[in-house]
Amino acid sequence: MLRIASGANVNSQDFRQNELHNRRLSDELKERQRAVRFQRPERELERLRRQNKLFVRDRIDALLDPKTPFLELSTLAANKAYNGEVPGAAQVVGIGIVAGREVMVHADDASVKGGAWYPLSVKKIVRALDIAIENRLSVIHLCDGAGGFLPFQAEFFADRYFAGRILRNQSILSKMGVPQVAIAMGHCTAGAAYVPALSEFSIMVEDTGAIFLGGPPVVKAATGEDVSAQELGGAHMHTSVSGTSDYSASSEMHAIAIARDIVARFHRAAKTPIDQAAPEPPAYDASELYGIIPKDPRVQFDMREIIARMVDGSRFHEYQPRFGTSLLCGFARLHGYQIGILANNGVLLSESALKGAHFIQLCDKNRTPLLFLQNTTGFMVGREYERRGITKDGAKLIMAVSGASVPKFTVVCNSSHGAGTYAMAGRAFDPRFVFTWPQSQISAMGAEQAAGVLTHVKARQLARDGGRLAEQELAAIRGPLLDEYRERSSAYYATSEIWDDGILDPVDTRSALAIALSASLNAPIEAPHYGVFRM
Amino acid sequence: MYTMPFDTVLIANRGEIAARIIKTLRKLGLRSAVVYHEVDARSPAVSMADTAILISGHTPIAAYLDIAQIIAAAHKAGAGAVHPGYGFLSEQAQFATAVIKAGIAFIGPAPETIELMGDKIRARNFVQSNGFPVAPAAIEEDDPATFVSRARAIGTPLLVKPSGGAGGKGMRIVRDVDALEGEIEQARSEGQRYFGDHRLYVESYIENPRHIEVQVLGDSFGNIVHLFERECSVQRRFQKIIEEAPSPALSPELRKRVCETAVGIARAANYQNAGTVEFIFDAGEFYFLEMNTRLQVEHPVTEMITGIDLVAEQVYATAGRELGFAQSDIVSNGHAIELRLYAEAPERGYVPTSGKVLLLEYPSGVRIDSGITRGQPITTAFDPMLAKIIAHSPTRTLATATANHAIQGVILLGCETNASFLARILSDESFVRGQFHTGYLEENPHIAAGNSATGLPAFLASAALLTRQVRESADAVPALHASLGDWRN
Amino acid sequence: MYHSVEVDGVDHQLWLSPCQSGSYHLHLRDQVISPVAFAQYGENSGVLTVAGETERVRFVIEGDLIHVHIRGIMRVLRYRDPLRTLACVNQEESSLMTRAPMPGVVVTIAVSPGQPVSAGAALMMIESMKLETIIRSSQDGVVDGIHFKEGESFERDAVLITLSKEGR
Repeated sequence: MLRIASGANVNSQDFRQNELHNRRLSDELKERQRAVRFQRPERELERLRRQNKLFVRDRIDALLDPKTPFLELSTLAANKAYNGEVPGAAQVVGIGIVAGREVMVHADDASVKGGAWYPLSVKKIVRALDIAIENRLSVIHLCDGAGGFLPFQAEFFADRYFAGRILRNQSILSKMGVPQVAIAMGHCTAGAAYVPALSEFSIMVEDTGAIFLGGPPVVKAATGEDVSAQELGGAHMHTSVSGTSDYSASSEMHAIAIARDIVARFHRAAKTPIDQAAPEPPAYDASELYGIIPKDPRVQFDMREIIARMVDGSRFHEYQPRFGTSLLCGFARLHGYQIGILANNGVLLSESALKGAHFIQLCDKNRTPLLFLQNTTGFMVGREYERRGITKDGAKLIMAVSGASVPKFTVVCNSSHGAGTYAMAGRAFDPRFVFTWPQSQISAMGAEQAAGVLTHVKARQLARDGGRLAEQELAAIRGPLLDEYRERSSAYYATSEIWDDGILDPVDTRSALAIALSASLNAPIEAPHYGVFRM
Repeated sequence: MYTMPFDTVLIANRGEIAARIIKTLRKLGLRSAVVYHEVDARSPAVSMADTAILISGHTPIAAYLDIAQIIAAAHKAGAGAVHPGYGFLSEQAQFATAVIKAGIAFIGPAPETIELMGDKIRARNFVQSNGFPVAPAAIEEDDPATFVSRARAIGTPLLVKPSGGAGGKGMRIVRDVDALEGEIEQARSEGQRYFGDHRLYVESYIENPRHIEVQVLGDSFGNIVHLFERECSVQRRFQKIIEEAPSPALSPELRKRVCETAVGIARAANYQNAGTVEFIFDAGEFYFLEMNTRLQVEHPVTEMITGIDLVAEQVYATAGRELGFAQSDIVSNGHAIELRLYAEAPERGYVPTSGKVLLLEYPSGVRIDSGITRGQPITTAFDPMLAKIIAHSPTRTLATATANHAIQGVILLGCETNASFLARILSDESFVRGQFHTGYLEENPHIAAGNSATGLPAFLASAALLTRQVRESADAVPALHASLGDWRN
Repeated sequence: MYHSVEVDGVDHQLWLSPCQSGSYHLHLRDQVISPVAFAQYGENSGVLTVAGETERVRFVIEGDLIHVHIRGIMRVLRYRDPLRTLACVNQEESSLMTRAPMPGVVVTIAVSPGQPVSAGAALMMIESMKLETIIRSSQDGVVDGIHFKEGESFERDAVLITLSKEGR
């Protein structure tokens, strides 16, 4: 495999300006993540201390094996929702190592709104459990939620992917033979009571943990009965009388020790075999990505420069290097795992679509996982392109992406617009993980074009009503439309809505993908089979 | 060829000294018998002896103090002589008397000599009346009513001692005269309990002297020789820790003086076996401390420099044989250092430790008098001494180095010992220069304290690598994740 | 969760992570020592490598206790299983048990079963080597059990006397 020869000039003015810009973006990301993770009103932390509870991050640190990675997912969920008052959607989820096993950690964050479930909290938990199902990961639930936030119940209760899905997903995991462990570290009320109940192993912390369908106030209102939380559903009762829980722990740390010991009993199934070699670091430093990603997102860049800073030895076996060159296809290794990469190097044309569809099938037959590096404004439009069947060829690519059996991973490096989003394994196409970079934008079309279209629509409406707009007035309409559109196509908005699994600092991408790849190989890879390709 | 009047010797003792005596008996072609309490069933003496006889008591110590059982055991073993070792009954005249009455030889001086010298007060008076130097003292039984006021009159610091005491037990230093009466009562209670004797006396306490003692040997023909001195100043709470011979503090003149004084005292007492005259030495002056009418723990250093087997000489003397050498035949050769390996933790105020000997290995190139063996439990029922390591080299410097190397090669796992403390003393500059006194360890508490951080990472690494759970949790982590370390996004 | 190893009453948090073949990084709370490795020869001995230096080690493993001898120093290290150490001891019950501060022998017993005692009252005199120590009650209560007779020896941390709460 040939090593990519980087053409980047690290001493150039452009490189330095890009680097400055992208490092600033990275710092901003880190700062936002830090705030979401740790910035809490003192009274909330004081309340935890009073209740003898550990902060959610400390619980997770204690749970995980020291000196092992934790791939946190959707850290910035809900950062643009609920006036920013529900950091992380009051949930922490991620993939980590417990007793040497890869697990999904799902923890309620009681320092945020008492751990109440908001609509995006439910979405985040459901997504975490979807990941667990797709990748056969055991889940450790650190339960300390106050139940659903009632005023928003219409947005999280009844629909297919709402709160019931959490319990359904838990049941499916169990059916698949993927065990879960729950620790009740606070009150698990109503629907949340089923989270420990549906776990194979359930631990309760004495004095603080409780499980019941209705808490003492509900019982009082319903039957007039006066009962304390511990009597109603405390550790002692559930582990010695009802059998709802299995182990009683004298402290959170004790509960975590028990959970670790339980996980250490889990059978470790052999991973799905794919082609693997000894890992090798890239020949180029990942930090050079900062100088390569253009500060102006409209500026085109060569994806080989990105690949060179992500894959083993910077080696890349390029497939069809002279055909459909706006879609780069080829093989590489990432931490030793062989992968097939599809990366946008310009607008998608018929040839690129055909090449991509062909390459996906090659990889699928070869049991080679796929990595999609998105930087696409979509497919080419115009009479000539339609006549040459651009839609038909795009459909082939979408059919191949949808049908591929091998695990898929998507990184939105820059633009993700139009049918390009779909054809490059967008969220709807079930890649195992979707990550974005801080400057990336995702929307049906680019902001400039969209603002133009929207302004045009608005002007037409006004014209129907007999008005006519001056250039100045058009600009006044266009400005706010553009701002709002940009805001809602930003990476921060997308991740707030959990359209992805988190924003990555570009230099972290290689490690994040390695953890994701490793997790994906817990599930078997089906034999390739596809729908009908329009020829 | 001289024939022994007995062919079997019963050892009324335990531990290293019992084992050490057996070795000599073997050499002399005598059979050995030992008594033992069941807690010592796995001790080396029991397996080495030709006969081992179980004795019992309401405590293990009580068993070894039970004269009737021991004499019965001697009869049972057909022993013609009893060796009392040190401690226990070794300095009880009534034991010697009972043994002799039972028709068995007692390996030690005559009961009257024990009586005379075993009683600290009487011994002191005897020595003084024969014109030898003693420290100023107040003796309770001279006039109990004025005891405290006479003691006060000597002036502090004072040392309160039980009359029947030995080995430093029950001794108390008084620096504040107001505390005198309280200390007297405490010492009385301890004296009663340890020695069955509540009598006390108070002596002027000489601060920081050296403890120097002279080994003497007498026979029934009136011959008395000395085997030079031993330096025993490295002590804690009057308990000797390291002894050596010769003393680094004595000039040939002083050595001659103290040795001749000791011989004079022994001669005055008509001493007929191995014995030790103890002195305190300060500013060029010797004061008689006490005479031990038995084999001393530290006798090996004398054996090393003189080449004379003291246990054999004791047996010969008891058998009525004349000393085989004259004073002029006895030559001091090189330097010997003895280290006492104790089951105690100097780092934690010398608290006694206990456990079980899980692994035991001794270094070569030195003499080891060991009282323990692998698998043996170590309890706090007895004196905590486990073994002695004796180095003998041409010079003191070499002996110190040899001892230091040897103690680091003593591998005893399963019970904490003072081994590393001994090594620290041997590495201490004052010790190396031979400049120390009985208060040396108290003045240098850092030697006992040690440094808890010494080598800690290596121990933690060993514990980590030897603990299955720790190693398994490291090995369980997938290689990829291990290589990423504690990466966070 | 780190592993915990006790040395001289002090807990040390530690963790191993794999290094190169057969060797590890030793992570302590405030430092990393690497590589560390242990090659065992025979039942009780081996060679320890710590950051490039090798030491001959003699050891015995006795349950959770690891007795180790390195360069003239012997230490006993105790692996503290979190399942046991984190399980809370009932505070009240433990304070009703009077434990031996060091191994020793019972000299005299000052109380008898059923006798009410107040905090600070002498319960027992023990002797360790040449020192007599009075064991006192840490709180008010009634003598429930005396676990050793006069003259009997005991190990460190042995329960000497148990009290019960008055009126129970």
